[in-house]
Parts: sequence; structure tokens; C-alpha cells
Amino acid sequence: MKCDWVQDNLIFYVYNELEDDARYEVEQHLARCPECAAELKATRKFHATLSQEPVIEPSPNLLAASRMRLQEALETTAQGGFWQRLIFDPGAWLRQVRMAPALVAAIFIVGFGGGIGATYNFMKSQPITDVSQLGPAPNTPAPVNASTITGIQSITQQPGSDQVDIKFNTLSTQEAHGSLNDQNIQQLLLFAARNNFNPGVRMDAVDQLTHAPNDTNVREVLMYSLQNDTNPGVRLKALDGLSSFVRQDVRVRDAVLLALVNDGNLGVRNQALHLVEPLKADSGVRSVLTKLSQSDQNASIRSQARAMLAQVPEMD
Amino acid sequence: MAAQGSRIDDTTLIREAQRGNRAAFEVLVRHYDQSVLRLALHLTGSEADAQDIHQDAFLKAYKNLGSFRFECSFYTWIYRIVTNLCLDHLRKRNVRKEDAPVAVDGSGEEYSLLDQVADARAGANPERDLMRRELGSKISAALSKLTPRERMVFELKHYHGLKLRTVGEMLNTTEETAKNTLFRATQKLRSALSEMR
Repeated sequence: MKCDWVQDNLIFYVYNELEDDARYEVEQHLARCPECAAELKATRKFHATLSQEPVIEPSPNLLAASRMRLQEALETTAQGGFWQRLIFDPGAWLRQVRMAPALVAAIFIVGFGGGIGATYNFMKSQPITDVSQLGPAPNTPAPVNASTITGIQSITQQPGSDQVDIKFNTLSTQEAHGSLNDQNIQQLLLFAARNNFNPGVRMDAVDQLTHAPNDTNVREVLMYSLQNDTNPGVRLKALDGLSSFVRQDVRVRDAVLLALVNDGNLGVRNQALHLVEPLKADSGVRSVLTKLSQSDQNASIRSQARAMLAQVPEMD
Repeated sequence: MAAQGSRIDDTTLIREAQRGNRAAFEVLVRHYDQSVLRLALHLTGSEADAQDIHQDAFLKAYKNLGSFRFECSFYTWIYRIVTNLCLDHLRKRNVRKEDAPVAVDGSGEEYSLLDQVADARAGANPERDLMRRELGSKISAALSKLTPRERMVFELKHYHGLKLRTVGEMLNTTEETAKNTLFRATQKLRSALSEMR
């Protein structure tokens, strides 16, 4: 009877799905029962046989193509029941991202290695400010600088009068200090690279990130900037930062290939082409080059692609 | 401490995406799309089908993100969507058995086109390649004897290493049911493979 129970559970034993007590019982039994031990051997053989067909990674080409397709589809898809925001509101975004208290402290960002100093506008909502604290007289409109307002909290009319109470939040500038290894600094740089309205600041952030320690998250943001930043200078900077990872990281390679195929700026495309050149023997890269050489709109891209393909003999 | 590690976490991205920020959704997609594609590719054996599943899954996620209430992880949620799409695919494939992706090699033996996807560097050792193709086709034939649910449970457990509790969640059932399904699947596979010797 025990053998039946053990043999029924051998498959779960092999898949490491038994509870600790059951596993213990099975092991105790196997030590004493040659029949069940033989059955375990057969079960393991079965497991090994089926594992001979390994799971292959999707090719960079397939991944890139799937992402492109999805992006296109998302552009024409509305999110069910949600107001589509056209403008990204960083203040509101920050209210949701609960930043560590340390970030609220006011200090300077110092340079790293090169002594580059920079300050970043870090937007944070202040506690609610009453209008009456600002203006001298209730009848005159308070001299509030409209550009520092991040949102209006509430508007209440005092009953029986023409007085209105408005609660609003404002921008305050903070500063943070630390090295590139500091998680908080990285968070700020990542935020700046992705969200700052000023392309100069975004460029600075991306530039700092290219010197940041070898970190997959930094890489992700660089890839994001490469694909989404509206400013070609920022995209070029991001390409720079990704250049050393093209060979080793398949996702970087496909992000660069995407930029090569899709980017609106010829400078970015040329740089992307230059980065994938050492990989021209790779079949995924070759198929992109082939397509470019045949049907790209730009003559210089076509001829460069053709020249690269000519240097690599056809490999099966 | 708000941020654990510098990767922007799913919760933040989801809330942002739910407010309509498509860029946040795209970053969220990238946390998962490679493994989704890997699963779809191995299960279907076809790049085109894998792409379709990838597309359908993330579009569905995008459209329904409003109803995601953090009752489970996003990982489980998206895999539930993908698993259902894979099950649909398997059911359709069962109906059109004559369309099964097989080809015939030089010696007249049928082999699964799955092998074409798996073996990118053929030609180095023809005998080994032939043996691999034969084994591959045996495995494919055995797998095709499973019901779609059995196939799915086996795929997730054996090829992607997920715990049966997770597999149960993805199939909207219990761990116990997933366990029983795995048991049946492996019994069927073992007898199918031994018959083919």
C-alpha cells in the first residue's frame, strides 16, 4: 500500500512539488524499497527525455517586431473607461510615487569623477497653503505665480458672501546630494531622463546615467529614452550609453535595431547602424540589414546596409 | 523606504497606466513581454502564432487595466490572460489536426516543424540532428495526445518551472486540480512515449 502512495507521488517528488513531510516519507521509503527506487529512476528518465527539447529564447528580431506591432496597436486603442491624458502631469505622478524622506532634504548634487555640478528641479507638493497667507487683502487677487501651481485642491464659497477659499498646491525646488551609486540619486536621474520638460535637463540626466554603474534598470531607461524621447540629441546620448551593451544584451540589441529602422532622425539611424555593424554576422541583424538595403527610403542607409551585407558571406 | 531597488515597480506603473499614461504601460509590458513571447513560442512552435498571442494578451491587458484591483500580482494577471489565449490556440489546433505543423524529411519520416525553431545550427552533426528530430517529433506527437488543459499545465510546470500553486492561479483553479492534471498529463506522456519505442 505504501508503495502505491509513493509511486503516485514520485512525479511530484521529481518536480519538487511535495510538502516537506511528504518528501521526507518518500525519501525514507526509497532508501528501503528497490522497486520504488527503480520507478524513481524511470520517472527521472522520463523527465530528462522531455527536457531534451529546450525552450529557446525568442530572437531579438521577433521581440522587436512584436513590440513594434504592439506599439502601433496601442496608438489606436483606447483604454476602456479612462480619460486619456494628453499631458503628463509630473506633480501628480510624484504624489503617487512615495519618495523616501531623505530626498526631501535640501543639498547639492556634486559631480562624479569629472567634477560636473548640476542641480535638478525636483517637484514636490507642499502641504496645503491657504490663499490668505499670501495676499494682503481678501478683495485683491493674491499674487500667486501661476507657473508654480501644481494643482487646485478645492474651491469653497463662504456662504452669504463673495469670498472664496481656494486650496492649492505649489512647486517647491529641492536639491539632493549623492554619488551615482546612491539609489535616490538614480531615482531622480531616471525620473529626469523620462519626464523633464526641458530637453537640456533630460540630456544631462541621460549623460549621467551613461556613467552610472552597470545596472539593468539604467539600461532600461536608456532604451526607453532611445525609443521615446522627442529630442534627437537625447536619443543620441542614450545610444552612446547603450553602445557597450549591444553585444551582450539581446534587449539592447533589439532596441538599437528598432531605432535603426524607426527613428525619424538620420543622425540617430546612422549611429545605430554603426553600433550594430560588429554584429552584422548575426542572423537577426542580417535580416534587418537585408530589409533596409532593399526598401529603406534613405539612399545612404540603403547603400550602407548593402555594403555591410556584402562583407559577410552567406552562412546557414 | 519607498523604493526597493531602482526598477520602477509594477504598482507604480499600473497606477500610472490606469490614469492613462501609455508610456508607463509600455514600460510595464517590457517587464514581461520576453517571457510571454518565450512561452507562446514554445507552446505554439510558430513565430507568427507567438506574435499574435503576445499582441492579443497585452492589448487585452491594456483595455482591461481599469478593472485590475491588485487582488493578485500583475504577473499572475497577465499570465492568466496569456494562458487563456494559449488554451484557445490549442483548442483550435485540435480541431484542425490536419494542419499540424509537420514536414517530411529526406528519409520519408515526418518531423515536427517545432524542431526547425529549436535547432538554429543544423548541419554540424547530421546523425545527431536526425536523432534529435526523431525525438522531437516523438515528443510533439506525445504532447498532442494531451487535452489543452493538460498540455498547458505540463507546459507551465515542465518547461517554465512554475509552481503548481501558481499554475492553478493562472488557470483559475486550485493547486490540487493542477496537481491532478499534471499527474494525468505525465501518465499519458509516459505511455505515449513507451509505445513509440
